[in-house]
Amino acid sequence: MSELDFDADELAMLRQLFRSEAQDGLELIIARLLATGLVRPSEDALTEMMRVTHTLKGSAGTVGLPAMVDLSHRLETVFAAFRRGSVPWTATTADLVVEVIDALRSYLDRMTEPNADTTVDELRVTIDELARPPVSDAVPVVVRDDGSEADEAVNEAVVDSVPIPVIDSVPTPVIDVASGGAAVGEPAAEPGPPEPKTWLRVVPERIDELMSSAGELLFDRTRIERRVQLLRTLARDLARTRHTLHDALSDDTPLPPGMRQTLVKTDGELAGQAALLSQTTAALLDEIEALRRTIGVVQRGLTRVRMESVKSLMTHAARTLRALRRATGVTVELRTVGEDTEFDKAVAEQLVDPITQLLRNAVAHGVEPPEDRAAQGKPAVATITIRARQDGNSLVLEVSDDGRGIDTAALSKRLIATGRWSAVRARLASEADILAAVVDASVSSRGEADELAGRGVGLGLVRRTVAKLGGELTVSSVPGKGTTFSLRLPLSTTLAQAMLFKVDGQVYAIPDVHVVDTTLVDAQATTSVVRHDVLPVLRLEQLLGHGPATERKPALVVSFAGKDLVCTVDKIIGAREIIIKPLGPLLAPLTLYAGATISGSGKVQLILDSAQLVRRAYPEAPMAFQDQVSSPTVLAGRALVIDDSRAIREAMTSMLGSEGWIVDVAEDGARALQMARQLPYDLIVTDLEMPELGGFELISQLRKDERFKLTPIVIITSRANTEHRRRAKDLGVRALVAKPITRRKLLEALAAR
Amino acid sequence: MVGLRNVIVFTIGTLRYALELRWVREVVSLGFVTNVPTAPPAIGGVCNLHGTILPVLDVGVLLDGVPGLAARQGDGALVVEVDGLVCALRVDQVDHVASLQADDGTVIDASGRPLVLLEPTQLIRRALELVTSQAEQIG
Repeated sequence: MSELDFDADELAMLRQLFRSEAQDGLELIIARLLATGLVRPSEDALTEMMRVTHTLKGSAGTVGLPAMVDLSHRLETVFAAFRRGSVPWTATTADLVVEVIDALRSYLDRMTEPNADTTVDELRVTIDELARPPVSDAVPVVVRDDGSEADEAVNEAVVDSVPIPVIDSVPTPVIDVASGGAAVGEPAAEPGPPEPKTWLRVVPERIDELMSSAGELLFDRTRIERRVQLLRTLARDLARTRHTLHDALSDDTPLPPGMRQTLVKTDGELAGQAALLSQTTAALLDEIEALRRTIGVVQRGLTRVRMESVKSLMTHAARTLRALRRATGVTVELRTVGEDTEFDKAVAEQLVDPITQLLRNAVAHGVEPPEDRAAQGKPAVATITIRARQDGNSLVLEVSDDGRGIDTAALSKRLIATGRWSAVRARLASEADILAAVVDASVSSRGEADELAGRGVGLGLVRRTVAKLGGELTVSSVPGKGTTFSLRLPLSTTLAQAMLFKVDGQVYAIPDVHVVDTTLVDAQATTSVVRHDVLPVLRLEQLLGHGPATERKPALVVSFAGKDLVCTVDKIIGAREIIIKPLGPLLAPLTLYAGATISGSGKVQLILDSAQLVRRAYPEAPMAFQDQVSSPTVLAGRALVIDDSRAIREAMTSMLGSEGWIVDVAEDGARALQMARQLPYDLIVTDLEMPELGGFELISQLRKDERFKLTPIVIITSRANTEHRRRAKDLGVRALVAKPITRRKLLEALAAR
Repeated sequence: MVGLRNVIVFTIGTLRYALELRWVREVVSLGFVTNVPTAPPAIGGVCNLHGTILPVLDVGVLLDGVPGLAARQGDGALVVEVDGLVCALRVDQVDHVASLQADDGTVIDASGRPLVLLEPTQLIRRALELVTSQAEQIG
């Protein structure tokens, strides 16, 4: 088939699919090879390998990759030769084949790169060499596509009718999901050929997206729940107020007859409304509870979809050991227990490096040379065991060797020598305490404990990964018998992508989906222009730290529910994958935080709630101060608008004008004071930050003037922090309105009492 | 309420207190303490204990509004659990565990001196009140 069958996008997508499929297939071959060890794989296994390469050949042709067609064909030929027995299987064959397949897999990843062609040539040679009989390196076996080798092994009809190979119980980057629930768990209706299970192939990213949406749902629910709790309090207050009214009416105070009737009627209505409100909030709470359960089901379901068996990790471990054997010459046997234990794929992926590290450690430091082992009466070949088991909600992975164990006496001496422990502490410490020092986070600064444990470097990586996943790492050791590292991990985890940053010496996180950009903000700036939009600036150094900034700061552009703002920080660290942990019931009322995460070194880092940040920059409803009973209702009259921005002055003039106000404007506080001396205004609308005389100074001056004691004043500002609100309240300001000003916000502010 | 109580006796600042052992889950040395901005002074911060986030409370603030030393890594703390709510109380020194005579909010130690017997249920309720009112103020 030619590339002309597809347009460019389609072809790119198809090739991507092919690569993923090919990786799966090649992984399967490796798994089969590793399963059989050094001996020749069974006839069935070799047939399966041929089927994989044959399928690859077909698909590679479809997506226009002639080099892959050629390489797959050669590989198939080699497997056919092994199966036929025309090329003997020697002790090194398995290693060589694994190597070739690994090379082929890395070529798949890089095949679009410019120098990929040379790789193809090299691969061709190495594949052909596999089929060369080791005794006489005479003639390579040449087999053509139309040769009988392929036909005898592969049922063409079957292969061709299944364009995507369906592979069960094999570590693959694509998750197989059983579909067609009817087939599952039902006894076969009639004997005969079993109904083939239907499988659905899903790109992992899609499930991850769903997972993260489900995680978001949790946050949403918490937010709604808080609001409903508030409603419930309001309902109670309302009921109480109504009771007060009721009581007042029942003590026979003389009232004008019409008035009493009206009040009794109002009381009756209020009672009904209060009851309805509390019923509704109670029902809402029930519904939230139902929502919580459903979200739980969705999350658990998605997690189960993402579950995979530990087998892939074990397969990886086997390969690592093979590579180590080749590199160091140390022969170690791998024993695996509990391969079928299932756990979250997201956790599995994070564990590849730590397990590799533990194996390296065991091979390099744990295992004695064969002669020493013989002297102790141990088998010459050391064994490393990886055990997996599920324990409640945890997965326990143990990596054990039968080597020399950790010398706790030497370790204790070193801990004293390096000043980590006092002599007293060392004397009091139990064996277990000393061993714990090997994996203790507080000993992490320099790999001393690692080094003196004789267990090499790299434990830090293991410890960090385990901590990041919310798990625990422990070690046990028996001198002369061996060492066991035990990783206890959550079966599944809510990993989320977060942006990390520093404010006032502490690291914080914010969900990465809400961070749309970064920028720089000048000291004192209250707005910032990002891609032609003027956005409010939320100064996190004021919210979370000590006081205002004196210099230019980096900032994150946060977008949530259609509203954007700029948050200044001290330093942007970057996007990381984090685990979200709840802050617990005691701190739950602090809505600024969506939770926390634990860093690799075990520190708690707080996660900010984007919704709350937005709310701080855009107070939706203007802040109305209820205790200003004496100020008159604003209907219309003469208004004075003070702002140093001409655009804002114009906008306010137009908005107020259309409400029937006569509007005067001033560009700063000093000018406004002059104007106020001449005319008694019915409404003052002022900005806070202005040259000459600022907003608060202006208001305090005005309040000293008898004529402006009770005049409604509205502040328009882009920064409304607690301090501002407090001052505004002290000065009897009617409302604070956040910029950008809309007609609705302004009218609400005027209506506020 | 008179009778023998199994208590843990400890010191915060210059004051000694007692707390019934049944509330104490663990005596730990605190890990890194993260400050929680916008939290009231009663919350000394949060730290990580076996993968769980634990608030660290300042007993001084909760009892009589006088803050003690800031909680820091390595400080001693009692991990207390009340109705499923777990938190840590920072202490300067854990003295001993003893069975002491209790009488109306105090216990009498071996040398005959009265010690304040802490009531963790009330401490935590007070902390929750402080956090809630602070949260309402900030909005």
